[in-house]
Amino acid sequence: MKAKALMVVFAIMVTAGMCSTASAAEVVVGALNDMTGATSDVGKDYALGIAEAFNYCNDNGGVNGKPIKLIQFDYGYRVPEALTKYKLFKRMGAVAIEGWGTGDTEALAPTVTADKMPYVSASYSGHLADPKKTPYNLFAATDYSSNARATITAWFDKRWPKHADFGKRKPRFACSYMFASPYASAPIKAIKDQATLLGFDIGPDQDVSLFAVDTKSQVLSLKDFKPDVVWHGNTTMSVSATMRDSYALGLGADHIINVWGFDENLPRLAEKAAEGAMAAVINGFYGESTPLMPTVVEYAKKFNPGVPQEKRLNRTIQGWSNVLALWEAMKRADKAGQLNGEGILKKGFETMRDFELGLGGAKLTYTETDHRISGAIPVYELKGGKFQLVQVTDLKGRWPDKWQSWLGW
Amino acid sequence: MSTTFLPCGEYHQDYRKDHAWWQTRFIKGKMIALMLVLFFGIPYVADEYWLSVCNQVGYTILGALGVQLLIGFCGQITLGHAAFLAVGAYTSTLLTLEFPWPKLLLDLGLAYPLSIFVAAVVAGIWSVLFGLPSAKVKGFYLILTTMAAQFITVDFVITQYISQIGGRGQAFSLPPGTIKIGPWVIDSDVKIYYMMIVLVILLTAAVVNLLRSRVGRAWVAIRDNDISAEVMGINVVQYKLFAFFVAGFIGGVAGAFWISNLAAISPEHFPWFWSLWLVGVILIGGVGSVHGTIFGSIFMVVVMELLQMAVIPLASSYPKLLMDFLFIKEAAFGLAICAFMIFEPNGLAYRWWQTKNYFNLWPFSY
Repeated sequence: MKAKALMVVFAIMVTAGMCSTASAAEVVVGALNDMTGATSDVGKDYALGIAEAFNYCNDNGGVNGKPIKLIQFDYGYRVPEALTKYKLFKRMGAVAIEGWGTGDTEALAPTVTADKMPYVSASYSGHLADPKKTPYNLFAATDYSSNARATITAWFDKRWPKHADFGKRKPRFACSYMFASPYASAPIKAIKDQATLLGFDIGPDQDVSLFAVDTKSQVLSLKDFKPDVVWHGNTTMSVSATMRDSYALGLGADHIINVWGFDENLPRLAEKAAEGAMAAVINGFYGESTPLMPTVVEYAKKFNPGVPQEKRLNRTIQGWSNVLALWEAMKRADKAGQLNGEGILKKGFETMRDFELGLGGAKLTYTETDHRISGAIPVYELKGGKFQLVQVTDLKGRWPDKWQSWLGW
Repeated sequence: MSTTFLPCGEYHQDYRKDHAWWQTRFIKGKMIALMLVLFFGIPYVADEYWLSVCNQVGYTILGALGVQLLIGFCGQITLGHAAFLAVGAYTSTLLTLEFPWPKLLLDLGLAYPLSIFVAAVVAGIWSVLFGLPSAKVKGFYLILTTMAAQFITVDFVITQYISQIGGRGQAFSLPPGTIKIGPWVIDSDVKIYYMMIVLVILLTAAVVNLLRSRVGRAWVAIRDNDISAEVMGINVVQYKLFAFFVAGFIGGVAGAFWISNLAAISPEHFPWFWSLWLVGVILIGGVGSVHGTIFGSIFMVVVMELLQMAVIPLASSYPKLLMDFLFIKEAAFGLAICAFMIFEPNGLAYRWWQTKNYFNLWPFSY
């Protein structure tokens, strides 16, 4: 009897779920996040930031008075899961999606283009920044390829001249990342192009898993090449493991890191080994002094009181940035009377010129021909456990003739 | 011979009838009705989302069919089948994107269909390579050698070498319009659905026919007792390797089919977990039953989606439920396997068999 009653309840819930679509009064936004998969070390905090930021948007009027309904799923960094979830979002009437990884975002890119569905991702892959190929893929950050170019340039400008061998030989450079990960491998072509442009000797790549806890064999292989600087393309857990092993085995190289490998957890996990590490930074760190940071902290305390403040990361801010950018685009599209995919892109995002989010990142500019938000990229380093600005690498200003040709890779 | 009891009062009088596909008019009618539902009913009723769920079911069936053949019919336990799906997917992708097809074949839209066949053969041969240890080892040790297929194929060969072809890095982009069969560009869920249905029907029929043949009987003999099979004159190694070839072939078709649903392919699409999932599918569906493969796939995909649908209405009160759904799904997967092992070790196919027999033997179904 109990089993039958349970079956009836289940059937009612399933029917209710299948019938649930957006009401006219609300704006549905889907979000795909990784709380349990290969990138969950940075994905959890990002997901919290997304939910908190949408609460903030709703507390401040939603989309010109229409509340935003967020449907947020953990897809475990599994591409097939992302594909079916995308279709579920569409079925539920989502007008835009906050996505996550490079693999699924790139896999979905032609579909979102055909569906005219704005897809604001946490993947900042340079392949997604060319509106000719992927007009509906957007992100409120500088792209991986530009970040990689900026970081290796900053190292070349600031560190290499102080090296004992400066002027005697070419600097040596190698990459360490998970070959199978579209995220980690996305900027490889760009960073090697930049290294060639700057006159580096490029060594063999090392394959390091996103789950890696022991990378000694890769570090020993690197030692044969004796790099002066190593670029790390993975997320924080894996990057810190490689840096610890590099320190323990006396690799003697500097470290430059992709965006998702450089956060408040890096000095905690890698300790001394993280000293001097450099990376492009796209937003302020959690709790840093920026105009909107007190609000971010307030919402974090209000909606996720169980997560200790000292454990929160700049990933929260990255989540907020993508949400606030989409929110602004939706408000503009709604004002223009076109709150749909095309409107959000054309009347929303592509009307933004030097739009300030107040989160310590670059101002947002999206044009019809270029979705890279900025050509000037701040590069930070870890000094005494603190993040410090090294330089703002102005790629667009320094290589104006090449900047346009770097779009989309 | 049929495994289902015939309705009361019906008897076969010759072997031809005993081995017929559709043994009674009623069964023939049922199958025609099923075809009508599959080809007209579902595409007419289902929206894009449910069609994509159907496609996921089809992909799971195609993937699990090879696993069923190996584990359920030949007794060769495999935990690396996702590797052969990957080989099929990559072979088909590379052939479609990079191979210099004659213009005539391209114009006729035959590049992709031909690539499916080549991909299946390559995956079959690749599977045989990893089946070779089955000549010497079995059981637990064979599981480990098949797991090696995953690590060597996906993590090493595909990731380090195959993925580098073309220079981009890891993901092969499949621009819209790449996948074309004859005059039809496969660019919507409904077209993918039709392709899936045709492939599932063809491969299921092929496997069922194989199992009714000398080859199938040899596989079952090896599964039940390989020493006795050898004593009876069956070349055990040859038949085991043939089972690996056929399983790999089907896996190759599954992989080649799946690229039609993707816009880019990377090694991440073929994790080891997927091999485990496919074994779960046949455990729940019923080991040693082709029906079981289909039931298991439907259960594992559709029930999980329904579970998700049940969670959605609660999300307005408990927003974290949606975020935690993956935990619920994985717990449900584990629980389902445990529950089936304890309460229904013969899987859903056995329930289906009992239900059919109940009606066939009515009013004497005691």
